[in-house]
Amino acid sequence: MSAIIEVRNLRKQYDEVEALKGIDLTVEEGEIFALLGPNGAGKTTLFSILATLRKPTSGKAMVLGKDVLKHREQIRQEIGIVFQEPALDDRLSARDNLMLMALFYGIPRKEATRRANEVLDLLDINDFANRAPRKLSGGQKRKLELARAIIAEPKLLFLDEATLGLDVDARRNFWDEVKKLSEKGSTIFLTTHYMEEAEVADRIALIDEGNIMAVDTPRALKEQVGGGLIRLNTEDNETVLHWLKQQNLEAEHSKEGLFIISNDPSSLLPSILSNIEQKVTRAEIRQPSLEDVFLKLTGRSLKNGESNDLESEKNEWVK
Amino acid sequence: MQGFWAVILRDLKRIWAEPFRLISGLAQPLLYLFLLGSGIGAATQLGGGQYLQYIFPGVVALSLLFTANFAAISIVFDREIGFLKAVLVAPVSRPSVAIGKVCSGAIQALVQGVLLLIFAPMIGIYFGFLQIILFVIFMILSGLVFSAMGVAVATNFSSTEVFPVVLNAVLLPMFFLSGALYPLKTAPGWLQTLSYVDPVAYGVDLMRGSIMGTFYYPEWLSLVVLCFVGFILIWTAVKVFEKGEEI
Repeated sequence: MSAIIEVRNLRKQYDEVEALKGIDLTVEEGEIFALLGPNGAGKTTLFSILATLRKPTSGKAMVLGKDVLKHREQIRQEIGIVFQEPALDDRLSARDNLMLMALFYGIPRKEATRRANEVLDLLDINDFANRAPRKLSGGQKRKLELARAIIAEPKLLFLDEATLGLDVDARRNFWDEVKKLSEKGSTIFLTTHYMEEAEVADRIALIDEGNIMAVDTPRALKEQVGGGLIRLNTEDNETVLHWLKQQNLEAEHSKEGLFIISNDPSSLLPSILSNIEQKVTRAEIRQPSLEDVFLKLTGRSLKNGESNDLESEKNEWVK
Repeated sequence: MQGFWAVILRDLKRIWAEPFRLISGLAQPLLYLFLLGSGIGAATQLGGGQYLQYIFPGVVALSLLFTANFAAISIVFDREIGFLKAVLVAPVSRPSVAIGKVCSGAIQALVQGVLLLIFAPMIGIYFGFLQIILFVIFMILSGLVFSAMGVAVATNFSSTEVFPVVLNAVLLPMFFLSGALYPLKTAPGWLQTLSYVDPVAYGVDLMRGSIMGTFYYPEWLSLVVLCFVGFILIWTAVKVFEKGEEI
């Protein structure tokens, strides 16, 4: 394995704000790498610098072994990008959109036609190949943009909040396609603020306020937190809550039931069940999520504006 | 180089998808020519028919000026919908994109201008072979300058609502000042002086001269001014595209 992206002490200063405060990062060949953080954490700034759209204030960023400041054109030749906002020509057909990008990449017309057919097949979008994007659904447009991003067979694929605004089905569908591309050997760098999406990654970097807080596999990150959450529904939650508090357990009562935070929920739950007299209607253990990891590292929730960990946990349950 | 052609190809494909735009683009110049021209012409010493012939090159310039400049709105639109970003991260050089845009605007203007030439015989203008060659060459030169103007201005805008308003505010004075509708020779001194800084005036004079045989400005001066202005504007447009930051 060799490094596809190498970032050393990267800083970006906007007029008043320091968006990146000395980032270090290495992305290896062939992996899916996710940059996870809340809005405004610096994800898009870092992405834009790596994708040659913005210049860093200081520090070093190498993409595919080339400096993002000195070899912009060569880097552009070898990357594909799906942007946050749709960026398709609404008047041209889906196929023409693909052809156009291929021509921009300097692919000869005949070869471009072959490549266009190939990606249309690969992503299974032949059905709407001749339709203009303004007549496509959000999910179809995203797929078309993914197709466009890979038409020049990039070594590295950038996805910047690529599923923003898509419904659950379209999102799942999109990530299935991305995983397929990854299996074919593409390196994928994605940014997201949905923790479910970051789970597709081999490694995740948690970013907050311009700093990388941690980089590891999803599993290792979650193990950092340890413990988990128990959800309990009984015939008399009030009484049980009172009892739990007496045992010095961290518990709270909400509409959905009782929530107990513990370092070792799998041993705690049986002992609770054997000690209470009330009938239990539901008992569940929830493993820590990336949300918890983020919370532990930053003291803040991934979702902007929420700071109560239990609160966000409960929201997860409701979903 | 292929990127340059791709930029042009895309614009032409878009126009092809909406041929109605070409037809409706004829409305404004024809209004000037037949309604305004006939009305004002009847009140001039030249008389109606000759006045129409006199303003014909001016009306062609009007068409070139507005078509070429408004073609650049596609840049603002592309930025608004984010397509420009997709183009700019593709390995196409900035000069290719900028110059491609200038050429595509000029081509659109030229098509519009050539459509107007069809009306020339209706008002008694019959081009000789050399005349039509010269006329078209001057059309191309003017079209390139006007298009470069649009691209240079458009690169500074990010709203498709503001851009046309600004364009209209700039283009109409340039057109009225250019001597398209009246001879600069007999215009008040301050107007003559002002017209020196209006590139449209040189384009109009070259086109009119190629039909009438007499020029107001020396031909070499007009050619130098147009080439110089065109070069500066294209250079500006390329520079703005090259800045690359905060697109």
